[in-house]
Amino acid sequence: MTEIMKYDVVVVGAGIAGPIVARNVAREGYSVLLVDKKPAIGAPKQCAEGINISIFERYDIPYDKRFINREIYGARIYSPSGYELEIKYKKVSGVILERKVFDKMLAFYAARSGADVLSRTEVEDVIRENGKIVGVKAKHEGEPVEIYGDIIVAADGVESTIARKAGINTYAPPHEFDSAYEYEMLIDGFDPDLIHLWFGNDVAPRGYVWVFPKDEDRANVGIGINSDNPKTAKYYLDKWLKENNIPSKKLLEINVGVVPVGGFLKELAKENVVVVGDAARQVNPMHGGGMAEAMKAGTIASKWIVKALEEENLELLKNYTTEWWEKDGKRLERVLKIRKAVEKLNDEDLDVFIEVLSGTDAEKIAEGNYTEVIKVLLKHPKVLMSARRISLLKELL
Amino acid sequence: MVEKIKIIVNEDKCYLCGGCAGVCPSLAIKVSSSKWEFFQDKCISCKICINACPVGALDFEPLEG
Ligand SMILES: Cc1cc2nc3c(=O)[nH]c(=O)nc-3n(C[C@H](O)[C@H](O)[C@H](O)COP(=O)(O)OP(=O)(O)OC[C@H]3O[C@@H](n4cnc5c(N)ncnc54)[C@H](O)[C@@H]3O)c2cc1C
Ligand code: SF4
Ligand code: SF4
Repeated sequence: MTEIMKYDVVVVGAGIAGPIVARNVAREGYSVLLVDKKPAIGAPKQCAEGINISIFERYDIPYDKRFINREIYGARIYSPSGYELEIKYKKVSGVILERKVFDKMLAFYAARSGADVLSRTEVEDVIRENGKIVGVKAKHEGEPVEIYGDIIVAADGVESTIARKAGINTYAPPHEFDSAYEYEMLIDGFDPDLIHLWFGNDVAPRGYVWVFPKDEDRANVGIGINSDNPKTAKYYLDKWLKENNIPSKKLLEINVGVVPVGGFLKELAKENVVVVGDAARQVNPMHGGGMAEAMKAGTIASKWIVKALEEENLELLKNYTTEWWEKDGKRLERVLKIRKAVEKLNDEDLDVFIEVLSGTDAEKIAEGNYTEVIKVLLKHPKVLMSARRISLLKELL
Repeated sequence: MVEKIKIIVNEDKCYLCGGCAGVCPSLAIKVSSSKWEFFQDKCISCKICINACPVGALDFEPLEG
């Protein structure tokens, strides 16, 4: 027999976006169900686990050592020919999480705030009555369940099946995805207080190789490349490890995934369906970080879900689309433009830019003042000699 | 005319990461926590999924007719 359930809000997916929405809405006293197809929320992870320190205060998440593996003070960037640029802060700038614990704790905070949480519950389709979506069909531990809800939240990650089943077009062209492959492994010789990034068209086409330290001698070592590349991400990472004489026989985990890095969803809410996080392609196109963006979008979405429930007016959900596009959509579109310009850089350009910047005041870069950085580059003779480089940099301004 | 194809998975290589389902423009792939499924009737033979798989777990066979 099919079990029937009824909630104000049904949230599909307990990654990052889902639990934030579930927690925020449950806190306001509405009934919420958060479901995930995984038997253990958070596992397997599909992430390098790096995130900015600011999220804890901004999104009201405890700074809990149970899910913070390591504090990070900056980054070191390596050019194709080996020029290095180090950006080091005096204070902690980011952390490397343990996502298996983090995701589960976010779901736990949602549960503590009043939401129901069901792991191993896979949503298969939406339920329509008289053409309107009234809930979702799922399987909980293999048994069919029908979950009715006034509002359905698609926080189901890159697959974004639920939004599409609800008739929302989440299509993005293949070039707007990254294929990612990563080992959690033992590795020596890298400053464990910094994240390390390698760029180069032979190293990682369109993307980069990363080492995100988790202990003194353990790290997430991964790669992201354009997903329309005929070679696999695994091919490029194994090649990099070999060329750099990094032993790869101490692999604790292998993580695989596809990251949407462009083609942000235009319509984030349609009737009573709301799309958040990777499902809405809300990821930074430059570095592929999606956790903070998922939290941001989840916060805006939950605000409008609460308002819509309070005023019994689903039309208000459209304000989530408007507010996200005004604030974050505009910003991410700019980042996408920059990524498209950076994509045109050849290895020699990357060498020149990183060489020039490594000799300048890293504080400016550390402050994230990119306009200043580009101005510094534009003054350098090696840049001024090339009309191509000047025009590429001007595209970034 | 696009050659009609059938997508096949090497289950031993697949991590069930869901990436191929995410890039497929027509919901022709479904990835649950325990299995990978393909729906021929929805596939438009674009091969986007094959390149996107980070480990090369997908391949294709031409369909007759
Ligand atoms: C290799 C790799 C490295 C990355 N590194 C970083 C990084 O260092 N920093 C960073 O910020 N971002 C990183 N990202 C991106 C980041 O992981 C995502 O952007 C982020 O997890 C998005 O959160 P989300 O809640 O939208 O989706 P997800 O975290 O993907 O959560 C979606 C959830 O929905 C569930 N689900 C899917 N379909 C269904 C269904 N039908 N029924 C029930 N449940 C379902 C899934 O099981 C999953 O738990 C990385 C991604 C990859 C692949
Ligand atoms: S992208 Fe590759 S590894 Fe991931 S589910 Fe599809 S076939 Fe499996
Ligand atoms: S070939 Fe295209 S339509 Fe067919 S499964 Fe792959 S991505 Fe989907």
